[in-house]
Amino acid sequence: MNFKRDIPSRTYSGFALSALFILTIFNILLESGVSKTQRAGDALLALSGKEGVANAVTSVVVYFRGFDTLGEIAVLFIAALGIGLMLHGDRRTEHEESNYILQKASKLLFPMIMLFGVYVMVYGHLSPGGGFQGGVIIASGILLLLISDGSFEVPHAVISVLETFAGISYVLIGLIGLLVLDKFLGNFLPNDVAQMGRLFSGGIIPLVYIVVGIKVGSEMSMIVQNLIQRSDDD
Amino acid sequence: MTGLIVMFTFIAVILVAFMSIVQRSLPDAIILFMGVGLGAVVLFFVFQAPDVALTEAVIGAGISALIFLMALKHLGEER
Repeated sequence: MNFKRDIPSRTYSGFALSALFILTIFNILLESGVSKTQRAGDALLALSGKEGVANAVTSVVVYFRGFDTLGEIAVLFIAALGIGLMLHGDRRTEHEESNYILQKASKLLFPMIMLFGVYVMVYGHLSPGGGFQGGVIIASGILLLLISDGSFEVPHAVISVLETFAGISYVLIGLIGLLVLDKFLGNFLPNDVAQMGRLFSGGIIPLVYIVVGIKVGSEMSMIVQNLIQRSDDD
Repeated sequence: MTGLIVMFTFIAVILVAFMSIVQRSLPDAIILFMGVGLGAVVLFFVFQAPDVALTEAVIGAGISALIFLMALKHLGEER
């Protein structure tokens, strides 16, 4: 296998331009200073306290921009669909043996990664993280299993049930909000500010993020499996 | 102190990105690209965006490098 490549001479003139760019960025960093980073989004931060969610980013992503998040989920779904269509069918048949340390270490690490993923997903409204991050962490745990164990297959029936359930419940939560509060993804569950910081707080926001996490996790797992288990003979 | 960390990480990220471009072997370039992602994680965290840092750690340093490596594995022999 030969991975060598040639570097064209104009790459070096590109470096000169990059140096200029870097100097400009240094100038900006020095002028603004790192202490004055809390300027953007002050209005949204002031609003987010009213929803009873400790993590302001979550209240923006899931509540104020909840409809956009539904669109992002749809984009990820279409990406998974495209990869599934393109790489469908040509599964490899022979299994490569991974080394002993990887096999044993993955058995030890897999439950911890899964637990961390679920934690990041469920506590998304209290601490940094959320559905997207938790879902991708779970998918990276699946990736570890796929690398270490050649015969491992993501259970297709479970994934399809989970993903359908998650997608339908996101839209259903939004529609119930539309019926009860006359606003799509309205926060119809109790979201008392006094409860802020508890696990059961923030109304629908943790529910939506758990649903997003299930959907992202199952889609990313299928993408990773499609990429890893592709046959080599083409 | 924060400014020092930012400056150090910033210079390190630029150096690693430079090495990633100049690298003659593609797998090494991908590994260095993961290094750029890790530096970005530190920068995001210092600039008070831990949510973005978490996303970058998983996607930028993990999944995207996997996709590059898989593409290299399948295209490598045809180069």
